[in-house]
Formats: sequence, C-alpha cells, structure tokens
Amino acid sequence: MQFFGGSDISPSPPAPTASGNNAHMMYVFNRNGVCFLYREWNRPLHTLNAQQDHKLMFGLLFSLKSLTAKMDPTSMDKGNLGVPQLPGQGCSFHSFRTNTYKLSFMETPSGIKIILITHPKTGDLRESLKYIYNLYVEYVVKNPIYTPGAPIRCELFNTSLDQYVRSIS
Amino acid sequence: MAPVAPRSGDAIFASVEHVNAELFTLTYGAIVRQLLTDLEEVEEVNKQLDQMGYNIGVRLIDEFLAKSNVSRCVDFKETADVIAKVGFKMFLGVGASVTNWDADGTCCSIVLGDNPLVDFVELPDTCQGLYYCNILSGVVRGALEMVSMKTEVTWVRDMLRGDDAFELQVKLLKQVPEEYPYKDDE
Amino acid sequence: MGREVSESCIDGLLTEMVSSYCNRFYSNTPELAARRIEAIGYQVGHQLSERYTMERPRFTDHLEAIKFICKDFWSELFKKQIDNLKTNHRGTFVLQDNKFRWLSRMSGDPSVENGTQDPESKAAQAMSMYLYFPCGIIRGALSNLGIPCAVSADISSLPACSFVIRIKV
Repeated sequence: MQFFGGSDISPSPPAPTASGNNAHMMYVFNRNGVCFLYREWNRPLHTLNAQQDHKLMFGLLFSLKSLTAKMDPTSMDKGNLGVPQLPGQGCSFHSFRTNTYKLSFMETPSGIKIILITHPKTGDLRESLKYIYNLYVEYVVKNPIYTPGAPIRCELFNTSLDQYVRSIS
Repeated sequence: MAPVAPRSGDAIFASVEHVNAELFTLTYGAIVRQLLTDLEEVEEVNKQLDQMGYNIGVRLIDEFLAKSNVSRCVDFKETADVIAKVGFKMFLGVGASVTNWDADGTCCSIVLGDNPLVDFVELPDTCQGLYYCNILSGVVRGALEMVSMKTEVTWVRDMLRGDDAFELQVKLLKQVPEEYPYKDDE
Repeated sequence: MGREVSESCIDGLLTEMVSSYCNRFYSNTPELAARRIEAIGYQVGHQLSERYTMERPRFTDHLEAIKFICKDFWSELFKKQIDNLKTNHRGTFVLQDNKFRWLSRMSGDPSVENGTQDPESKAAQAMSMYLYFPCGIIRGALSNLGIPCAVSADISSLPACSFVIRIKV
C-alpha cells in the first residue's frame, strides 16, 4: 500500500517492456509552430483530431517554457510572462513525467522542437533526442527532394526512426 | 548535465564524409558560368547566387547545429564567432576569423584567407561587377536568419578583385523572438 | 591526396542548383531546366576528365575509355568504382553503381505507394531532374576524350543507378 508521494500512484502504467516498445509518439515542430512530423507507435487513446492535438501540444510547450523561465531563481533578465523569447534564451526544461507517461523535449537554436512521449520509466532521453535530430538532418534536411518547411514524408527517415525508437529504454 | 562545449571545427571536419574539392570548385564554377549565360546581367547573377546561398544556409544550419553541439545562439558575438571558426571549418575545411567589431557589437567582419571556391578561378574582364563568391554571403545570411538573427551581409574585400583576403561584413539588423503562432480562439 | 571539402558542400550545392533551375528559372519548362542542369554537368565532366587524363597516353578504343570512367574517374568523384559494366558491343554501355552516392539520402513519401495512380511519380520526377547532372558529367568526360555520346540514367532498382551510354557513330 502506498500513500501520496509514492512513486507508483494508480493507475500504474504497465512495466516497460523489454521488447523495445517504450515510445508512444513523437512530434516535430518547426520554428513557425507547424507540426511537420507526427509519428505514433503506441497510442491506445485519441481524444482530439490531429490538428487540435498538435496545437495543444505546442501550446503546452510554449507556456511551460515561458513559465519555467519566469520562475528561474538564478537569472536576472527575464521578460514578462508570455513575452516572446528567442529560441535558446533563458532556461528551458527537458522533460516532465506523469504517472502514465514521460515527455522529453529538445529545442534547437534554429527553432526545431522534438517531443518524444514514452513510458514513464524511461531514463534520460536527451542524448536520444540529439540522435533523432541527427537523423532528421541526414534523412530529411539532406534529402535533395525534401522542401524545407514542408511536412516530412521521407521513407528513409521513418524507417531509421522506427528502428531507433525500439532501442529506447 | 553540464552544457556540452561546442566541438571544434577541426574535429568535426575530420569526422564527416569528404569529397574531392575539385569537384566542388568546378561545379560551382560551371553553375556561375551557366547563370551568366542564362541570366545575362551580372547584377542578376549576383542576386541569384545570393538567393541560392540563402537557401543552402537555411538547410545547412541544422547540420551545423547537430554536429557542432552548439545549443544556443542568443548572443550575436558568440554566434558570429562560432559560425566563422566552426562553421566554415567543418564545411569548407578552412577556418575564418572574426574582426572589426563595431562599438555596440552588432557589426563585424568574417575574414577568409583561403577559399576553395576560387581555386583555379580567374575572372575575365567581361565579368566586372560579379561577386563570384556571393553564394557564401547568402549562406551566412540564411543560416543566421534560422537562428533568429536578421542580418545584412556584404563583401568588403575580394581576392578575385585584387584584395589580399575575402572579407564579409555581417551587420545584425534585428533579433526576432519566437511568437505564439496561433490565435487564442482559433 | 588533394584538397577536400565536406560532402555536404557538394550535396547542398547540387540540391540548390537543381531546385533553382526547376522551381525558379524554368519552373514551367522542365525540359529546359533539364537541359541546363545537364549542361552544367557537361562542363564539370569535361574539365575533370581533362585534369585526370593529363599525364596518361591516349585511349586506343572506346572500351578502354569507358573503363577509365568506371574506375579512375568514378573513384575520384565517389571514392568507389562502378560495380557492373555491360555492353552490347555495338556502342551501348551500361554502367551500374549499386549504391549511387547522390541518391543515398533521397527518399519520397512512403504513403504514396498505397495511393491511387502512378506511385512515386513526383519523387521519381524530382530524382530524374537530379540525375541530369551526373549524366552530363559522363557525357562531358567522354566528349573530352573524343567520344561523342548520349547518356541517360535508370533508377528502376534503387538505390542502384544505371547510366546508359550510347556512343554516336
């Protein structure tokens, strides 16, 4: 029996599977807030249509970033809440965890945001996000027939991404 | 996790795939020549080379960031420095230096002593007014714009015009913060 | 060993050159764009073959010149040789590169295959535009060796690419 503050509050998620099924879904947003890639591996529940879902995710990140920077006790210069920041300005969070999932987040100075939703027990995924950014560079940015800013539809990227996320633990 | 220091341009250049610079240099030369034939006016060629460079810079910035581990580009001085020292080195194999900062730190020069684009190039007299390396100024402008810095990039010195180095002046016009892209009641 | 630059320099330059000609300069006349891209390749091939054959005796027959393209010339450009050479002994040669470097990062929309008509047609079109450049290189190189010819590319078995050389008699 566990009380408040225990690490496993019901509803408890299934234990991470060894077979490499820990990633639920991934979003990539560009600097204009457009979700140009959404990929899903394991998402039993859909409550919104895709567009609303992407917008909500972007809003969550945008507000959370603004709030975390505002609450930063170490930094002198911070704008008012909601005042736009430069990508990379101020502090930033890299993950949060609920009892049912973990969200890992990376933003590049070029404004690319990569969000990975995984099992709550997965470890620090900052290196994994960097790896995914590198996959994006190799197979999307350097794909001669990909137009920058367009939705990502590149088979080589999808295959290498699917393969990689299976290794996430 | 402590912030990771950017990797050096030398280290990255050593780790990426290389190609024969002749192929690159001659291809660039052939493109310039074809543009001169197709567009006829030197001014228009300068403009198109700059535009092509801009588009390349827009793509190249992510490779630069991914491979160099540069995680923030907020300060113009730092950014100009890292683009010159790491960026030029990791792609062209030659480092550039940053000089001539103005008092308020919004304008500087990127100086290249060695430039693989111009190996074997001699401009004929008919090409007066051509900025042969204009693609480079476009690349710098495009890359900086992707990290929220609007700049104006112009040639100050050009070895093909008899100067002792290539010098690009980079002037920061403004830094564009990220806006929330949706309307609230959308 | 001569001077080198990062592979991304040439990749980025080619991508942008092809896109400028196809989407900006000749967006309504793809056949003109193709001709210009081929012409740029021709100049490059011509100059490169001049440089690489400077200290070599003249080739005595067509096959010898083609073998030079398959081995020395291809190695200078792509750090590998052509994998397979076929000929009908009547002036047609097929050079197959099993993993052609300039196609290695190219991939199109994976979902199109399930779509209605002509799968991958747009991606295939974009790829063929790109291939006018190496075709031009080969034609330029052979023309410098005194062999006028026509060159086309076949990408029906990606990532392999076959270049078909028809020598003009």
